[in-house]
Amino acid sequence: MTTVAIPARRVPWRAIAIVLALATVGLMIAIAAATFGRGPAGVASRFAYADAAPAPALDLVDQAGRRFGRADLRGRPTLLYFGYTHCPDVCPATIGTINAVIAASPEPVQAVFVTVDPERDTVDAMAAYVRYLSTEYIGLTGTPSQVRAAADGYGVTYSRIDTGSAGGYAMAHTAELYLIDARGRLRSHYPFGIEAAEVVHDLRALATE
Amino acid sequence: MSIRRSVTVRPFRVALAAVIAAAVLGACSSAAAPSAGAMRVEDAWARPSMGMDRAAAAYLVVVNDTGVADALVGARSPAAATVELHETAADASGQMAMHPIDRIDLPVGGRAALEPGGTHIMLIDLTGDLVAGQQIDLTLDFATAPDLVVKATVRAS
Repeated sequence: MTTVAIPARRVPWRAIAIVLALATVGLMIAIAAATFGRGPAGVASRFAYADAAPAPALDLVDQAGRRFGRADLRGRPTLLYFGYTHCPDVCPATIGTINAVIAASPEPVQAVFVTVDPERDTVDAMAAYVRYLSTEYIGLTGTPSQVRAAADGYGVTYSRIDTGSAGGYAMAHTAELYLIDARGRLRSHYPFGIEAAEVVHDLRALATE
Repeated sequence: MSIRRSVTVRPFRVALAAVIAAAVLGACSSAAAPSAGAMRVEDAWARPSMGMDRAAAAYLVVVNDTGVADALVGARSPAAATVELHETAADASGQMAMHPIDRIDLPVGGRAALEPGGTHIMLIDLTGDLVAGQQIDLTLDFATAPDLVVKATVRAS
């Protein structure tokens, strides 16, 4: 056969190696693009929702006692979080992440902190709490049933736990962070401990839509 | 002139550099490891308070260099009337829940990181506002090792 007749040194090993290397790099890029590529709605993140549905309804009051609904989420991107003001560990950590996002965001961002502890977190308590935060923050509360309905809309669950701590009862709660775009559409959700850079990345993608 | 000067000065510079290096090394080793065979605490910090009626969390890393298995069993501080050890953990439904705990085990050579979303020291019934930049004393109570007083810096993260 003719291939056998070709002297071994004529086989273009260098060219083959280059082609294989390029093919490998190309494959890796393709895999990365498939994994982290733009979602159907435009937010380039694995945390994005597949669709860009309107944010779930809210019927709550802010720290000034004014009614706050999902229409109030429009106008600028919002980071929304369910927590409680007597939460010393998880919630301040998430607030720290939100603050880092606000500092690095390409455009103004609104931060909404919804309590899951309406028993202690009255309008006055929310007002006292957000005073410690930057002006981007809005603190929302409501009746227990209003708060439960808001949480249900986002798939947030919570329950009171009496732990025997001198600090009083605690609230167990899911601790995801939600990104809502300036048109009031729920776009992404992030697990507790997310790096601020991941959220900023998505905000940049929203800004270019 | 300049050559002669550099020749005469250089030994002095070398000696000075050696003295500075020794001082820096000494300072580092005394800060990081006060003495062999002791509990070592790194990066103690507490969050700023957000109202006197709300607890604040403090975090640190403890390294057990005592050669004996031990445990952190409590803490106290002039900054709070009550101090508890707490642990945050996600339950089966994905909810983050916080509970008081009795002890944080410290095996020989072990390193326990009290950090956000994990174990922490709860400062309950604060005696004053905790403001970023301030330092508070924390006295750590171990099952075996003697009490250890550490300074925790108040900072946001």
